[in-house]
Amino acid sequence: MVRACLTILGVTLLAILAGVFFIDIKAGPPGKAEMGIMNWSKHNILVKNKKQTNPLTDNAAAVTDGKDAFSHYCVACHGLDGQNTGVPFADRMSPPVPSLAGKGVQSYTDGQLKWIIDYGIWPSGMPGSKNTLSDDEIWSIVLYLRHLPQAGSMGEPEMYTH
Amino acid sequence: MKWKAVLPSVLAAMLFAALLLVQTTPAETTPRRIEVTAKRFTFTPGDIALKKGEPVILVLKSADVPHGIRFKELGIETKVGKGQTSELAFTPAKTGTFVGHCSVFCGSDHGAMALTLHVVD
Repeated sequence: MVRACLTILGVTLLAILAGVFFIDIKAGPPGKAEMGIMNWSKHNILVKNKKQTNPLTDNAAAVTDGKDAFSHYCVACHGLDGQNTGVPFADRMSPPVPSLAGKGVQSYTDGQLKWIIDYGIWPSGMPGSKNTLSDDEIWSIVLYLRHLPQAGSMGEPEMYTH
Repeated sequence: MKWKAVLPSVLAAMLFAALLLVQTTPAETTPRRIEVTAKRFTFTPGDIALKKGEPVILVLKSADVPHGIRFKELGIETKVGKGQTSELAFTPAKTGTFVGHCSVFCGSDHGAMALTLHVVD
């Protein structure tokens, strides 16, 4: 009996090991179907807080606050313009870093954008930033996302230019 | 003729009123200085009680990296360099609780770095 159990256990372990060797974990571009399913799921099920509205007034000062907060923290992955300008690895991540001016991001509600910045998104490189940024800073970033400049108009992040 | 008799009384009354005015004008208050140390990721003290109308100077000292403090609701802000000191002078004009946040990105818990002012009558 013990021998039979050990045999089953051994075979199972071998199968797992063999499976691990066949899994490809290289970061590559996701397929269209995968992207489509994930996008739909994120917009409609996974990303919460759809109904919360931005408590900040949409004016030039608040957008400038958002631009400042964004340029201290988010630029490493999203570039100064939120459109990945100058970010050398943006296309090499899986999934790739999206343009924040694109429809995929802009179609989230303000509340959902706040939720994404608060908690991050798995599976992707987007980290949660609650407490790393204050609520006020995050809401101002959400405002900035609605007023992104033209792609490339702000140059590249300093960290990648020398 | 009558006004000649009244004039000294009027002058005396005016002098008396002027003296009263001088006596009742409050002397300029010296602002209260409060030292606040900013160090990743706290302000010490983290809560300060203030009186409405009492001038105050927050003396902000950085014990490590650059920091700042901004009370958005009061429209006041100061920034301080690494290991340096800066002053924020103001007179609270309304009562209430006002939360200020670090205004210079300083690391992983920057967003939670807050200082609360309790302004009372």
